[in-house]
Amino acid sequence: MPVGSNNVLAAKGFLLASLVLALAACTAGNGEGLDQNGQPIPITPPTASQFQEIQDTVFTPICTQCHIGANAPQGLRLDAANSYALLVNVNSNEVPGLKRVNPGNADQSYIVQKISGTAAVGGRMPLGQAALPQDRIDLIRSWIAAGAQPAATAPNNLTVTSVIPAAGEVAPAGLSKLTVVFARDVDATLTSSTFEVRDGFDQPVPVANAQVPQGRPNVVELKLARALPAGSYQLEIHGQGAVALADDAGHVLDGDADGVAGGDFLMSFDVSAGASR
Amino acid sequence: MSVRKLVPWMVATVLLVMAGTANAEPYLAAQMGLKCAMCHVNPTGGGMRTVFGNTFAQTQLAEKRIGGDDDLWTGQVMKFLSVGGNARANYNWEDVPHQEGTNDFDVEEARAYLDFGVIPNRLSIYLDQRFAPGNATNMEANVRYWIKENTFYVKAGRMYLPFGYRFEDDNAFVRQLSGINMQAPDEGVEVGLESGSWTAQLAISNGAGGGNEVDPGKQVTTRVEFVQSKWRAGASVLYNDTDLGSRTGFGGFGALTLGPVVLLGEVDWFDDESIGDGKLMATLAEADWKLKQGHNLKLTYEWFEPNDDIDEDEQTRASLLYEWSPIQFIQLRAGVRVYDGIPQNDNQNRKQAFLQLHGFF
Repeated sequence: MPVGSNNVLAAKGFLLASLVLALAACTAGNGEGLDQNGQPIPITPPTASQFQEIQDTVFTPICTQCHIGANAPQGLRLDAANSYALLVNVNSNEVPGLKRVNPGNADQSYIVQKISGTAAVGGRMPLGQAALPQDRIDLIRSWIAAGAQPAATAPNNLTVTSVIPAAGEVAPAGLSKLTVVFARDVDATLTSSTFEVRDGFDQPVPVANAQVPQGRPNVVELKLARALPAGSYQLEIHGQGAVALADDAGHVLDGDADGVAGGDFLMSFDVSAGASR
Repeated sequence: MSVRKLVPWMVATVLLVMAGTANAEPYLAAQMGLKCAMCHVNPTGGGMRTVFGNTFAQTQLAEKRIGGDDDLWTGQVMKFLSVGGNARANYNWEDVPHQEGTNDFDVEEARAYLDFGVIPNRLSIYLDQRFAPGNATNMEANVRYWIKENTFYVKAGRMYLPFGYRFEDDNAFVRQLSGINMQAPDEGVEVGLESGSWTAQLAISNGAGGGNEVDPGKQVTTRVEFVQSKWRAGASVLYNDTDLGSRTGFGGFGALTLGPVVLLGEVDWFDDESIGDGKLMATLAEADWKLKQGHNLKLTYEWFEPNDDIDEDEQTRASLLYEWSPIQFIQLRAGVRVYDGIPQNDNQNRKQAFLQLHGFF
C-alpha cells in the first residue's frame, strides 16, 4: 500500500494508539506513607548512618533494579538484608585480587572502580543508566575511607545472623565449607572446639578447621575434612558446656536466641546427590 | 546457487513482501507480518541478521540506498562464515530533581557477531561479543542445530533466554522485571519450533543471571507466539528454582497492525519469593507510526508495580522517539523519556533525552 495514501489512516491509527495508551495508562503512586524507597515508613525509623544513607539513596533505589534476588549479577545482592555482608572484605568475582570493599582504601575497592568507570572488566555501574551523581560517589568513598562501618550497632549478645547453607536448604553435592555469620565479632581462639557437624546417623563429620577469615571478625568458615556426600546433616555451635563460644568481649553465645547468653545453636541442612559444579 | 545469483531474487521477494522498515525491534516484525527468525539467525530475534534480513535492511530499511545492485551486503563473507555488528553512540541529557542536570557522550554498545555455518542451514556456531562499553565481554556463544530444517532446532551454550518481546530498550520495565534482556545472557539449552503460524521456545538454564551457578536449582523459560499478517499474540512463563526461594513469572504479549501504525503490548507478572511476599507487575504499551519510508515515530507508556502489598508505590515511564534511517545501515534516533514515581524518590522522577547514531550490518 503506498505510504502517501495512508496519511489519514495513519493519523487515525496514531490517535487510536494514543487513546489506547491513555486508557491503559496506570498512573504513578503518590508515595503517601512511604519512604524514598517505596517502603512503608516504620514507626521507629532505623538508626541513621553513612552506610544506611548509601543503602537508602544508591543501593536500594538504583542498584537493586538488577542486583537483587537469585538473578543478581555476579551473585551480588545489594538489598538491605545482604549488601554489607556481600561487599565488605569480600573478593570480587571479576577481579579476584580486589575486594569489593576494602575498608580504609577506597581506591583499592572494586565497587569504587565500577561506579567510577575505571574498572578493568565490564561496564560502568549502574549499567545502562546515567553515572551516579558525584556526591553519591564521594559518599561511598568517604564511607570506605572511614572504615566501611555497618549501619546498625551490634546487639549486646552474641547470636547467629545467618548460615550458608541456610537451615532446611539443600546444598549442592560436594559441599565442603560452611559459613556462619554472627551479630558480633567472635573470639577466634574458641572456634576450634565449639563447632560440630554430624551426619544423619548422628556420627561426627571431621572438621579440618574453623577459622575467622581476615577482615571479617564476625564470620566463621568451617572447612570440612572431606566433601559431604548426599544426606542430612546438623550443625551445632556450643553456647554452654565445658567450652562455649563467646565474642571478643567475653559474651557467651546465645545459641537458642532467647535473649539470654547460653544455649547451643542447632540447625539442619541437606546435601543433594547431584553432580557438584 | 551462489549468493550473487540469489540477490535479485531476494530483492524482489523483499520488495513484494515488505512495506516497512526493519531492524531488531518487534514492531517491525509485526509491521511486516513475519516471525523474528525471518531476519535474525536467532529465532527469538536480535543479534546477527540473516541474508534475508540484511537484504531487506538495504532495500527497504533506509529512506534511500547508496550504491549499485552488485554492492548488496549479505553478511556472508565466506561460504561458511557470516558476520554482523551493532554500534550505538549517544549524546545523553538527564535532569534529576534537586540535582544539577548532566549531559555526556557515550558508547551505549559496540558488538560483533560471527556465525559459522559449518553445515549450511543445519549446524551453526554463533558468537556475540560486546567490545564496548568496558572491556570485551562475551554475550552469546552457542551451538545451534536444526534437527529439521527451518522447523525444529536445539541450541546450547550462552544465550539470551526466550521471554516476551525482545525490545531494543533493555531498561524497559518489562525487561527489567523479567531480568531477561540483551545485557543478561544465561547458560543452558534451548529447543525451538517454527511451524506455520507458530513459533515456540523452551530453555533450561542456570538461572544465575549470567553469573556463576550458585545452587542446584535451574531456571525454565518458555515462550509461545501465534503470528498472523496483521496481528499476533503470545505467552511466556518463567520458573527459577533457587535456594532463596522460587521465582515465577507469567507474561502475555501481542501486536496489532493498523495500516502504517503498529500497536504492541506486554504484561508481565512475577512472584519472587527471594525478595519477599509482594507480587510484581510491569506493563508496556507501544505505538509505532511509519510516517514514510525510513521514518518512524514511537510512543511508549510503561507502568511498574514493585510490590502489590504496598499502595501508592507504582512507577511509570513515558517515551517519545523519532527514528530516521537516511541510508542503509545507519539510523539516527532522538527521544525523550519521562519517569514518574513517588515524589520522595528523585531518581523515579527524572527526565532524559538522547540523540543516538546507530550503525549496524
